Amino acid sequence: MPKLDHNTQGAKRYQNPEVFEQLAIEYAVGSMQGRARKRFEVLMETHFYLKATVEAYENKFANLVELLPDAKAPDSVWAGIEAHIKESAPQEEKAPWWKANFFKQGFAMMAMALIVTAVMLYNPMSNHNPISYSAMLESDTNGPMAFTKIEKSDMMIKVDIMKDVKIADDMVLTLWCQPKKGGEPMKMGTISNKGKTNIKISEKQWHHMKDIGSLAISVDHKDKTSEKNPAGKFILKGQLSSSS
Amino acid sequence: MEDIYAELLQKTAAGDQLAFKQLYEKCSPKLMSLCLRLMQTEALAEDVLQEGFIKIWDKADTYTPGKGKAMTWMSTVIRNKGLDKLRSLKTRPVETEAQFEGLEFTSSDLTPDSMEDMSQEMQGLMACLDTLKPSQRECILLSYYYGHTHQELSEKLGKPLGTIKAWIRRGLEDIRPCLN
Repeated sequence: MPKLDHNTQGAKRYQNPEVFEQLAIEYAVGSMQGRARKRFEVLMETHFYLKATVEAYENKFANLVELLPDAKAPDSVWAGIEAHIKESAPQEEKAPWWKANFFKQGFAMMAMALIVTAVMLYNPMSNHNPISYSAMLESDTNGPMAFTKIEKSDMMIKVDIMKDVKIADDMVLTLWCQPKKGGEPMKMGTISNKGKTNIKISEKQWHHMKDIGSLAISVDHKDKTSEKNPAGKFILKGQLSSSS
Repeated sequence: MEDIYAELLQKTAAGDQLAFKQLYEKCSPKLMSLCLRLMQTEALAEDVLQEGFIKIWDKADTYTPGKGKAMTWMSTVIRNKGLDKLRSLKTRPVETEAQFEGLEFTSSDLTPDSMEDMSQEMQGLMACLDTLKPSQRECILLSYYYGHTHQELSEKLGKPLGTIKAWIRRGLEDIRPCLN
């Protein structure tokens, strides 16, 4: 297989059609992976012929989707998409100032613009309104074990334990939110050690999510579940990421 | 053959939410099926489908009908989202009870009826894939539908890593002239 190299000498090799065609088809089918895939993506940004060749192969292989059996997605997927569209709906189009009777309304508009700018600069949330957060929780030894999603559309934390977590009968799993800046973790509730658990959250908790850096699951004794801080050790952890 | 989704995608690019919903309703079953195979868990598959359709909404204006069908463009957007997600995980998630595996749905013994439902492009691709040795064809299809790494294919098929790499490389070399 042609070696992928991002130095100048290596980049020249991609001008050889035999080399770049083979790399492009490997990228398109998905057999180019890991760091090689990432390096190739960087090269594609500057070498348009690479990008065009990849797109052509991607288009050919994408026809394979026709053979797949149908699988219905749950309604919550569309609800999340719809929520994104509503959140990101552009403000009413405004005519450019030179067409908008500027001299009649000029000072009022200027004052309004200054106020809006000041509010936007002052309010750190003004340009980022997440509609959902997600985290893949992993164990040090067994890799990804649970997927967690928090959506504004239903104000729910959904925890999906993908591999059953073995715990003693007198133990229970608890979900925690850990703030980005450190400090006390926020207890979200106990969860099942297999399958799915949904935890309802409040408006206030949703707003706190922007300050949360990671989620974690601890194993605690059943008789200690009322405690505000984790009594047992954390067995699963994962970074929380937002999407808007 | 007329591209039935291109018009909906172009209306989506113009901000038509109703057209976008119709597009989602018509295309999401196939794309969800792809996500399930790539991600192996329902929760991750749903997440990738949702993020993928949000990208389709945001980037619909970059779709050019002359370059390919709307469905192939959307499949590529969603599949690349899934591959990015897999790359961001330290190790690949595994469903406790494997539900999404195998390539039965790609069987080359398809009935004339199902062949008729296929687009001309797909029929052409099938003809190219049928020129490959079964081992090469299997590795390429498993890479496409499941995003398997060479190492994963080696473990799944019980063959040495070098053999898997050679099968894929040769298979792609052999199929290129046919595709072009």
